[in-house]
Amino acid sequence: MGQFYTFIFRFLFFVFLQVFIFNQLEINPYVHIMVSPLYIMLLPFDLSVIRLLFISFFLGLFIDVLSNTFGLHASALVFMAYLRPFVFRWFAPRDGYDPIKNPSIFDMGNKWFIFAFGSLLIFHHLWFFAMESFSILEFLLILQKTLPSTLLSFIVCVILQTLLLKKSK
Amino acid sequence: MQNLIEFIQKLRVLFVFLFLQGIAFYFYVSFMTVPKSNYFTTASSFSGTLFEIKHSITKHFNLEENNRNLQIENIKLRSKVPSFLYELQKDSISVQDTIHQQQYHYIPATIINSTTTNRNNFFTLNIGKTQGVNRGMGVFSSKGVVGIIHTASTHFSIVKSVLTSDINMDVMIEGNGAFGLLKWNGEKPNVGDISGITNDIKIAIGSKVITRGGSGIFPKGLPVGRVSAVKPIEGKSVWKIEIAFSEKYNSLENVYVINNLFRKEMIMLENENGEQ
Repeated sequence: MGQFYTFIFRFLFFVFLQVFIFNQLEINPYVHIMVSPLYIMLLPFDLSVIRLLFISFFLGLFIDVLSNTFGLHASALVFMAYLRPFVFRWFAPRDGYDPIKNPSIFDMGNKWFIFAFGSLLIFHHLWFFAMESFSILEFLLILQKTLPSTLLSFIVCVILQTLLLKKSK
Repeated sequence: MQNLIEFIQKLRVLFVFLFLQGIAFYFYVSFMTVPKSNYFTTASSFSGTLFEIKHSITKHFNLEENNRNLQIENIKLRSKVPSFLYELQKDSISVQDTIHQQQYHYIPATIINSTTTNRNNFFTLNIGKTQGVNRGMGVFSSKGVVGIIHTASTHFSIVKSVLTSDINMDVMIEGNGAFGLLKWNGEKPNVGDISGITNDIKIAIGSKVITRGGSGIFPKGLPVGRVSAVKPIEGKSVWKIEIAFSEKYNSLENVYVINNLFRKEMIMLENENGEQ
């Protein structure tokens, strides 16, 4: 039961962070910090993919309603959630995942987190900016936005984890 | 058999994925073009109220600058008020003005949420249908045009700002009257483009860009910006014109919504002519 409340509380916390803090920053046109992928990343290993897809859809929709993006966040997060099992299988440790552990930087180690979350984040950002521009002519602009945004989002997500989580025993 | 079940299970995930993507995509396309409802925008009463609370905190950040802008505008307007002018001819007679009739009605509004760094930027206003705001009305500030009302709910409305990919506002260059469409390439929030001006017309850098008033949304002559660069496009007979917007959209707060009282009449007339 305690886990369920953490789940709900964290959901609202991430919506708040994304909409009222990071969307309001507006650093420059090429840098958008998106922390919502971290929520999808931190969901437990043994959660079924279908549930994962629905949770990310609703998280995205919640953010979309509050930031006039009309489904962009939902689309990008669903895409990321769809890729998550594939990426996790790709970077799986030799003896498989321990379902008691969380997919966080503390439980799984720096190297695993950088590769797994880093690649998911790039796919998420690329999908988001490609859908936003919706034009092949703006390919350069999409890349110009994706690279710095991914880097900064990654750094912010690592900092957020150190504030939110502790190593599970 | 085992393989078949596994195959179907894998496919099930793919189907759910495609289904959710389909919904998200449908939302995106329908809200970008003609929104049918306001539930999934910041004009909904839920998010509108949240942003009103947010605005009550953040409105103090740009207060000084916004106040100064309003003061400057007030001075400009005051200089036109008859009682502040020196009367050259005493005992003037007041007449019922039958030559001029009010065509535009202005509604003051405050931006409660805005973005300027996305590809398509929308602003949320604190007024809606109750105050007479409707889809298709123009929005401008004391320094320049802001956008067009995209959708309006009872108490809030969303402005499709000039910082969107398909704003296509008709603007002209003051002086020579060359006109084209205003576009935005998605990079800097203070630079726009004008397309469609043929390169046989000479355009001076620094010349003023104003609204043309062709579609009846804006009155003619509202400032948009100034021409900052004129470049030829290879193989085409049109200029690539860059303009610097006269309004700073990232600190903008006080705007006016324009209601053209003759617009219905104009559209009706144009449709009648189109049918013939």
